[in-house]
Amino acid sequence: MSDHENAAASGSKLTLAAVERFLMAASMGILCLLTMANVLVRYFTDISFAFTEEISVALLVVMALVGTAHAFATNHHISIGYLVEGNAALKALAGRFAILCSLLMFGLLTWYGTSMAWDDYRFEVTSPSLGVPQWWYTVWLPLLSLLIVLRLLALLWRGAK
Amino acid sequence: MDWLLFGIFIFLMLAGVPLAVAMGLAGTAVVALSGFGMLSLPTNVYTGIAKYPLMAIPVFVIAGLIFERAGVAAGIVRFASALVGERRGSLAIVAILVAMIMGGISGSGPADSAAVGAVMLPSMIKAGYPRAFTASVIGAAGSTGILIPPSIAFVIYSLLVPQASVPALFAAGIIPGILAGVSLILMAWWLSVRHDFEAEPAETRPPFWQSLKEAGWGLLAPVIILGGMRSGAFTPTEAAVVAVFYGLLVGMVVYRTLTWREVYNVLVESAEISSVIMIIVALASVFAWASSTLSTFDHLARVVLGTGLSETVMLLSIQALLLVAGMFLDAISIYFIFLPLLVPIALHFNWDLVWFGVIITMNMAVGQFTPPMGVNLMVTSRMAGIAMESTVGWVLWMVAAMGATMLLVTFVPELALWLPRHLGYL
Repeated sequence: MSDHENAAASGSKLTLAAVERFLMAASMGILCLLTMANVLVRYFTDISFAFTEEISVALLVVMALVGTAHAFATNHHISIGYLVEGNAALKALAGRFAILCSLLMFGLLTWYGTSMAWDDYRFEVTSPSLGVPQWWYTVWLPLLSLLIVLRLLALLWRGAK
Repeated sequence: MDWLLFGIFIFLMLAGVPLAVAMGLAGTAVVALSGFGMLSLPTNVYTGIAKYPLMAIPVFVIAGLIFERAGVAAGIVRFASALVGERRGSLAIVAILVAMIMGGISGSGPADSAAVGAVMLPSMIKAGYPRAFTASVIGAAGSTGILIPPSIAFVIYSLLVPQASVPALFAAGIIPGILAGVSLILMAWWLSVRHDFEAEPAETRPPFWQSLKEAGWGLLAPVIILGGMRSGAFTPTEAAVVAVFYGLLVGMVVYRTLTWREVYNVLVESAEISSVIMIIVALASVFAWASSTLSTFDHLARVVLGTGLSETVMLLSIQALLLVAGMFLDAISIYFIFLPLLVPIALHFNWDLVWFGVIITMNMAVGQFTPPMGVNLMVTSRMAGIAMESTVGWVLWMVAAMGATMLLVTFVPELALWLPRHLGYL
């Protein structure tokens, strides 16, 4: 798939945005394919395919966090702008404040998410239906929170220039 | 501590911080200060997203987007004009019908209004309708979408209020949604006759059967989703996925409007729209955990109930509150902010939660096109290139029409509940 062209079309932050878009499209695509495959397999065979739910749910986590990073860049997050949009100086200030708050939120998630995943690794927790190590799934929360942190830092940097 | 939780949340929200972060930070502050253990933070966020029922969000979003891009809109407009025929105000009526059929899938009133506006606004203005009237009709029409299934708003309501299942809510929305649409159609028709709009029919009536055949591919989508759920063959999530693949087939093979490139864009866009909702779900779970540990909403509900208002007064006050909220916020944010407080109140009065979901959604739908703040009206006024104030004389008629329908459903709950009960969902 031509994610390079798409990134060029979207214009800004070539590499990071392109990677984000590719990960979002891939996780969404695989989610739909897995669910469809589940329906088909259930109708035409007796094989249980339900263990794929665990994979779908993990993909959901990846999609939600990568999409969150991307939505910060495109400014698509739901927020109430009425009170701060009237005045240009206030709006700029509120914009920086919103980024700093988000940095704090996802910084905390990176930090404590790491210790959650570390606990899963240390205590050899296994996943409920596939029985694979649980940290394979939980490690994505701190990793992708870190991606969001980097994305927010890039926005602050761009705003400062 | 209760006040700290709300104080931080409200301050951050009004300062323009994304809703998800405002909820997450308010919850985190309480967790940190009460010494509940910071590990509850990542655990709540992870389990907030990593649950199967949440799958419904991305699949319904992508189903809506695929059909929008598959080029079914033009066919549906022709079919609606074939139904309406040549009469006074026919284009206004067509606009409302199109919004009723296409709307709702995106779950966002402003997006629906923009989609219908893009198709209908130019032809209505060409036919001589005043811009202010056109913007009012389309803004009002766009808000009916969240009532008529498949509706993302109801999927989210069901996530937050598990006692109300998705099929029950979808069925419960059908009659109120159609009534709301019909009341808008009657009002638009009456205004057109009174002001002599479209005295000369703008377009000739397309042949009925041919237009039905052309629109059939698009009209089948809701049939697949609702029929699949009704027959018990699919869960709501599976029904939406089947609709995605059907839409892909229609767009790539039948209408040939979808290229692989466009499919890639649809995947990215729907992933982003879903993520914006899911990150609210995830961070709201920190807020919910903190508030349930403190029993904040129980305290608050007790305060509200302690005012000793009668059931009817309470219901009408809630509706007034949500109507105002609907002017500022989209339905999904309103659910996250208000439902934790409203559900205990509804349970106290033994209100049916499916009916309650339908009427509060209707409230927000009306709020979305009520001046001076209605988000839908803002979008359509901008598209029509006019100031929102100039629509007031027209749009208040539409508000009155749909408001009357809303009160009807409030006092005759069977309008919402008859169909789901008849289908065995209650």
